[in-house]
Amino acid sequence: MGIGAELLATGAPILAAGGSGDGSPAGILLAGPIAAIAVYGLLFRYYRNTDKSHSFETETRIQAAPITGGEQKVNEIRGTQQTQIQGNNVSNHRQRVQRAP
Amino acid sequence: MSTPPPPSQPQDQPEVVNTQNADLGDGVNRCPRCGSTDIQLRASTGMLICLFCRHEWSEQQAEGQLFDDGNLTELRGTTIGSGAADIAADVNAVVTLKCQGCGAEVVVNTAAAMSSRCHWCRHVLTINNQIANGAVPDAVLPFALSHEEAVARITEFASKRKTFANRQFLKEFTPQNVVGVYMPYMIVDGNVSSDVYGHGEVETRRYTRGTDENRRTYYDADVYQLHRHVDFTVDDLTIESSAERAMMDTSVNTNNIINTILPFDTKNAVRWNANYLNGFSSEKRDQDVEQLQPALEHQLLSIARSQVAPSVSRYGRGVRWEAEKVDVHGTRWVSMYLPVWLYSYFQKEKNMVHYIAVNGRTGETMGSIPVAQGRLLAVSAAVGVVAEVLAIIILVVS
Ligand SMILES: [Zn+2]
Ligand SMILES: [Zn+2]
Repeated sequence: MGIGAELLATGAPILAAGGSGDGSPAGILLAGPIAAIAVYGLLFRYYRNTDKSHSFETETRIQAAPITGGEQKVNEIRGTQQTQIQGNNVSNHRQRVQRAP
Repeated sequence: MSTPPPPSQPQDQPEVVNTQNADLGDGVNRCPRCGSTDIQLRASTGMLICLFCRHEWSEQQAEGQLFDDGNLTELRGTTIGSGAADIAADVNAVVTLKCQGCGAEVVVNTAAAMSSRCHWCRHVLTINNQIANGAVPDAVLPFALSHEEAVARITEFASKRKTFANRQFLKEFTPQNVVGVYMPYMIVDGNVSSDVYGHGEVETRRYTRGTDENRRTYYDADVYQLHRHVDFTVDDLTIESSAERAMMDTSVNTNNIINTILPFDTKNAVRWNANYLNGFSSEKRDQDVEQLQPALEHQLLSIARSQVAPSVSRYGRGVRWEAEKVDVHGTRWVSMYLPVWLYSYFQKEKNMVHYIAVNGRTGETMGSIPVAQGRLLAVSAAVGVVAEVLAIIILVVS
């Protein structure tokens, strides 16, 4: 049965992630709850497909001219612990932002 | 046409192109070979078939017939097919036809059907003239997948999802009850420009500080202000033109399932002939072009953001888009019925209809299977316990 394999596949990386949490021994104890929630979410979506929609961005015939634009360095950040820019939405195409005039 | 395009005026009246199928009228429409009115779509061929003499034929392809198919980059203003024209609120959905066979009066309620059989002489009367209630579209894409094929796809989809399925759903599962429904859409071509503005970050240095337990990773980064511009055209963007179907809220309905089986091969749509609907059901459009502008702009902006993404790949720490705009230079709209095989299950306790939908052309299948909450929770909890035990073992051993 495909589902059993999927359960195993989800459990393992979560355990590994819990174990590598900067060596903090308390972190690993979150493995149980995290695994339970992940398995629930995975199975729920497999049955209900609430996350699915038509990928019109890629499944429509689109002809685009070469992209133009510009960039300008405006700041330098030193010693942040954040792994990415705050509010990163580069791959969240459907998240609407303020309308420019 | 070699006349230069008129200047873009966003608020001007749309140009309406008459898409009425001039070869057909309301009432008796006969088989071109034997004159019978018993005509149906044969899904396995996508053609109309006369049930009396078995002659098969098809309406003209709509592509290239409804509009001058010029270069989309030259598209200006708003052009709509007459079948996509605004719906008049006061129009009577009930049409009374005079049967050409016997002279009797036959009533067709276009809210529910596009044809009716004369009780007296048994001729089938069909509605082919466009009515201002949105019931007759510019074009129709006939079913090309048979009922049996749809049943097979639905059975396959559901059989992969049995273990945690709602028990009542499984007990009542009757894939033979799948219904062929023509769903209403607007098919939109567009010529647009879009601009997006934001900030991106490039990592310049990465280092760790502290020892053992308190070891942390730190990053240095350059911050850039970004602007991107893209001109693009879209061909046959497909937008739900029923307000109810366009409402996709997965906490109360499963309309997203029907949306997921898009796209359709809309280029193969044919001009309207009500006989394509015989034996199928249909839902009526209730949204006009103006009401669908927000949905169109949302899709255009999403496409623009997807188009510019490769051009900012060097910003490894990501990009935060903060402002965006879309200038629509030109659009053209065609209303179309698209074929969907729909299996539905009403889950009483959640007051929710779960669909399994099959694309009536490509066979793409998607569905929502109600879950057995108890089983799902039990298994998730069990996996959680196993993970927790493993975690404790690792803790104790290390
Ligand atoms: Zn015939
Ligand atoms: Zn009659």
